[in-house]
Amino acid sequence: MININNLHACVETADGEAKEIIKGLNLEIKSGEVHAIMGPNGVGKSTLSYVLSGRDGYNVTDGSVELDGVDLLKLNPEERAALGVFLAFQYPVEIPGVNMNVFLKAAVNALRKQRGENELDALGMLKLIKGKSKELGISDDMMRRTVNVGFSGGEKKRNEILQMAMLEPKFCILDETDSGLDIDAIKVVADGVNKLRSPDRSFLVITHYQRLLDYIKPDIVHVMADGKIVKTGGPELALELEEKGYAEFLKAEEQEKAA
Amino acid sequence: MTTCLRILDRDALPTPKDEQWKYTHLGRALGARLLNVQPLAQQQILVHKTVGEICKEPEKIVWKGEAGNHYQSRFEIVLEDGAQATIVEFHEGEGAYWKNMSTEIVLGANARLNHIRIQKDSVDAVQTNMVHISMERDSHLNSFSINLGGKLTRHDIHAVLNGSGAQCQLNGVNLLKGQQHGDTTIIVEHVAPHCVSNQFYRSLLDDKAHGVFQGKVHVHRGAQKTDGYQLANTILLSPMAKMATKPELEIYADDVKCSHGTTTGALDEEPLFYLRSRGLNESQARMLLIQAFIDEVIGKITDSSIQTRIKDMVAEWLKKQLN
Ligand SMILES: Nc1ncnc2c1ncn2[C@@H]1O[C@H](COP(=O)(O)OP(=O)(O)OP(=O)(O)O)[C@@H](O)[C@H]1O
Ligand SMILES: [Mg+2]
Repeated sequence: MININNLHACVETADGEAKEIIKGLNLEIKSGEVHAIMGPNGVGKSTLSYVLSGRDGYNVTDGSVELDGVDLLKLNPEERAALGVFLAFQYPVEIPGVNMNVFLKAAVNALRKQRGENELDALGMLKLIKGKSKELGISDDMMRRTVNVGFSGGEKKRNEILQMAMLEPKFCILDETDSGLDIDAIKVVADGVNKLRSPDRSFLVITHYQRLLDYIKPDIVHVMADGKIVKTGGPELALELEEKGYAEFLKAEEQEKAA
Repeated sequence: MTTCLRILDRDALPTPKDEQWKYTHLGRALGARLLNVQPLAQQQILVHKTVGEICKEPEKIVWKGEAGNHYQSRFEIVLEDGAQATIVEFHEGEGAYWKNMSTEIVLGANARLNHIRIQKDSVDAVQTNMVHISMERDSHLNSFSINLGGKLTRHDIHAVLNGSGAQCQLNGVNLLKGQQHGDTTIIVEHVAPHCVSNQFYRSLLDDKAHGVFQGKVHVHRGAQKTDGYQLANTILLSPMAKMATKPELEIYADDVKCSHGTTTGALDEEPLFYLRSRGLNESQARMLLIQAFIDEVIGKITDSSIQTRIKDMVAEWLKKQLN
């Protein structure tokens, strides 16, 4: 279970100033649940995902984040990964010169080591990679290339889900994993996510589109605006948003509050 | 500097006026003691392959340096038409010495040379090396140079592509730390048409190391259909390290493809975070990224056992520097 309480966080801007982006955000995701966050561009969704995974330059000024009772904010990114935090990036990073197999092996074994498990040998690794990549329709050719370099938008997103499947996280953040995917690829990716759904794993799915939520059925939908959650509801909330658009929806919310 | 060193006259060491751009202060690096030592009798090594001679096994040539000596060395590699060879030039030594070398590489028509230079001179040594390369029709040179040693090293390469269809690959890696100064200066002259030249240099500079890369592609009138590329990337591992890079194109023909690119900076934060978010700790992540950066150049070496040896050297250097 993940608990986010009154979270405030700043980013360091290019000229070295601190700019508050997350402004008192509360969120609780129970194990086994899937929550979706929707919200206009620039309200801080990706920033939230970076704060949760511990990126440098994203500083928490107030509040707390706990995963199964452990304070995440004290930990560096690799320690959070070992505890089970996984971020599927909105823009997966290209890593020139690092081969996919080498990368996956390094990641799997680094995590196993941190978790006090035995490192996988070459054969065990090969089996794991083959099995998971086949499930996600990832070609052997892609596995021979360097990480994300020259991958199409869709291939990059599939690669994120492949890593998620291999690293066995407890808390998965998917930041716009559907953008850049064609309709068939969305199904493949959603199937991959659905296979990972389990009672001890929770998901935070950031998206702009109802379409993804047709395949990955959320338990709860949140609307984010100006660095906090402004509305929480069931899956029907996503449909309402899609129909009205954010601007009208947020205006209606404000009027309701004022009244 | 070029002319002075050719004359090998210590009274005529280059002055700032002789250098168009970055002046390498040889006198200061040598110090009074080495400057006043009489050079040993000229050492000379000649590798000569006759027409069509094909040498499959790499040939290793070692240049040693001993404390207090001043060497005037001449290294000649001549491959006649159609000859093929792989030459590994290895530099090592102990203490403070000056190796002033002149290297001449002559490739006849259709000759193939793989030239690997491993410079592991002592950290107190000075090496100045003037390399002159001339290439005839359809000859190929695949050259790789790694600079690990030396207090001050200057590798001056002047390649002249005289015959059409010649292909000249000049690749290199500089790993410098402490107060090392490593300078690579290249001029490639495309005299004949339909030639290809490629310069690909990557450097890692730690501590207060100082690197210089100046590379120039000069396309003569009439050298149509030239392909000339230059790429020089540097990662600074410390805020005190410095790199000076100057790529240059001078083109007098109108139907050519030439480009250059350079980057210098600290290791990118984004890939580092990506790897850490997958569980690698900071030093594993840095190691993986930096090794990959250097391996891309080492990958240009065709002989896989030499590749492995050089990768091991790089790994050893990195282990010392990153931990
Ligand atoms: N390093 C930075 N310097 C200055 N501003 C920043 C920095 N990083 C993020 N921001 C700003 O923070 C705000 C939130 O950005 P964020 O990427 O979290 O938005 P988002 O909700 O993910 O948007 P989108 O839907 O477009 O992905 C934006 O206004 C962005 O410009
Ligand atoms: Mg975003």
